[in-house]
Amino acid sequence: MSRRHKKTAVRWLSTLVAFAAVAIMLFPIYAIIVASFESTLTLFSSRFHFFPYHPTLANYQTVILGKQSGSSASVTTSGNQLGHVLTSLEIALATALLTLVISVPAAYALAKYRMRVTVLLIGALLLAQIVPSIVLATSLFAVLLKVGLVNTLPGVIIADGTYAVPFGILVLRAFLFSLPNEVMHSARVDGASEWQTFRMIVIPLARSAIITVAVFAFLAGWGDFIFALTTLNGASFEPITLGIYSFLGYYQANWGAVMAAGVVALVPAGVLLVIAQRYIATGLTAGAVKG
Amino acid sequence: MPLPERDEATRGGHLVMPGHANQRNGGGQVVGASAPSAPTGTGAARRSFGAGPLSRLSGARRQQLAGWLFLTPAIAYLLFAFALPIVYNVLLSFERDSLSTIGSINAPWAGFSNYHAMFNDPIAQSAIVHTLEFTVGSLVGQFTIGLSLALLFSNRFPGRTIARSLVIIPWLVPLIVTGVIFRFMFQQEGGAVNQVLIDVGLIHSPVDWIGSTSYALLTVTIANIWLGVPFFTLLLYSALQEVPAEVKEAAMIDGAGPWQRLRLVTIPIILPVIEITFILGFIFTVKVFDLVIGLTNGGPANATQLISTWSYALGFQQFNFGEAAALNNVLLVAALVCAPLYLLLSRDQLRRSTGAAV
Repeated sequence: MSRRHKKTAVRWLSTLVAFAAVAIMLFPIYAIIVASFESTLTLFSSRFHFFPYHPTLANYQTVILGKQSGSSASVTTSGNQLGHVLTSLEIALATALLTLVISVPAAYALAKYRMRVTVLLIGALLLAQIVPSIVLATSLFAVLLKVGLVNTLPGVIIADGTYAVPFGILVLRAFLFSLPNEVMHSARVDGASEWQTFRMIVIPLARSAIITVAVFAFLAGWGDFIFALTTLNGASFEPITLGIYSFLGYYQANWGAVMAAGVVALVPAGVLLVIAQRYIATGLTAGAVKG
Repeated sequence: MPLPERDEATRGGHLVMPGHANQRNGGGQVVGASAPSAPTGTGAARRSFGAGPLSRLSGARRQQLAGWLFLTPAIAYLLFAFALPIVYNVLLSFERDSLSTIGSINAPWAGFSNYHAMFNDPIAQSAIVHTLEFTVGSLVGQFTIGLSLALLFSNRFPGRTIARSLVIIPWLVPLIVTGVIFRFMFQQEGGAVNQVLIDVGLIHSPVDWIGSTSYALLTVTIANIWLGVPFFTLLLYSALQEVPAEVKEAAMIDGAGPWQRLRLVTIPIILPVIEITFILGFIFTVKVFDLVIGLTNGGPANATQLISTWSYALGFQQFNFGEAAALNNVLLVAALVCAPLYLLLSRDQLRRSTGAAV
């Protein structure tokens, strides 16, 4: 075999191995999608079906319309997840908004103003990322209870901001740091105020970094479970992550519905992956670890 | 969501290795900025930019004020959502709290009894051990698989861009959903994992991955490895792109085999990134919560109870907030163990922190 042929063979072998690895990595997601279209009866059989066995939309009916397709109609809790999806959307959007409102100006100040607190604040932000959510959750519950924000949307949104605010400030600061100072300087020479410079020069220039942070804050708010679990423990509404958890409890036997609810929870991540893939890849390399 | 130090975080898409960032900046524009207290050089030059002595002074004042105003929301938020809860958590750990007193600061003083109770609580003890096993197992698995995939993706082959972007997907799944998916795949009857293992002949009868105390922690660890592989792969892949091709070629000419090149050339060069990846992985893994709740809920018989899940059970299910807070502080200390190293590796962020005056 010639050298060139050997090289081609190695390349195609790499493709094969890589896609086999990707297939294994993605199999769990494939499995939940297939399972969401199976009847619970099929899911309880002793064989796992790699391809849809008796495809049905019954699970999605249960999840979206709250209908009970099974015979165990003794469940009183509404299975309706549509309200949960809306709650999750509200929480995710508000978390993204809160994160941007706090982190864009702060990042600008930390990147472009000479201030004594800068080193201290950056150190604090790096440390804030280390603090486990459960540590915050226990005492945030107490604090939110004291100010009357337990079981409210603002309460859970403030808590969810802890995932994204430190990350957002640090990512945006690193980006703004690389902007040439001349840009802001010339705006000032032209008589722009600090606020005008920030709003009309800095924000447009930082657009891509702002989108990255917004996407991550959105996903953090959407995927949050721990703060929803602890701060919304008696609320009349719950996000989809909490809905899935309740489903596990109430519908111990209804795997199909749990799977369908899980798939519904994957939708925004999938949509964002398609429309904002560039920003997700950047943010992930910027060290975004959720949790 | 911790952040490794990076230049131009969102521009190049390549992680900058800590050791290299200095050299890169060294020749260039931010020398003044990287020496915080240097009174000369660029600082003085900048000051002379102002129009006249008077406007210069008021301009500096104005900028200080603007800077503080820009920072106010962030400082307020950090105080309310981080500082206050952490301080309150310490306070709680010395109080005898119940659901009725948790919202007030006036619970009866408990001294060290919460810590005493916690360290004598067999479940808390085992939770600490489980957390350690879970963390070490996860990191070893994530690194091994992540590095293998990163090396694989470094080869040029058809479809590698698609493959690389597909690998990110597991990371986007909400953690509670990941837990549920693995609970489904690892169930004893009708679980995909048992079925594949039986079909290829590795096992003869289904293993009780979730219900048996000897396998449950392993199952949770496997799920967490799956979760962390995208992150390790992407970071290590970015680092591998920075390894100069000449170095690898030189090693090849000197007769080094693939394994030797990896061990003696590639790994030493990307070591700074490996370090930061491990630290971030550690920070992430010690606080895992959702995944375990969705997968095993801490069971069976507390076999997968981690510090985080047991703290939740103590606080929010048994309303023993004092002992929960004490356990939280153990977790906080464990997480902060790597803080000095983390700050050290992020030193470029801190060093460049005087900002460039405008």
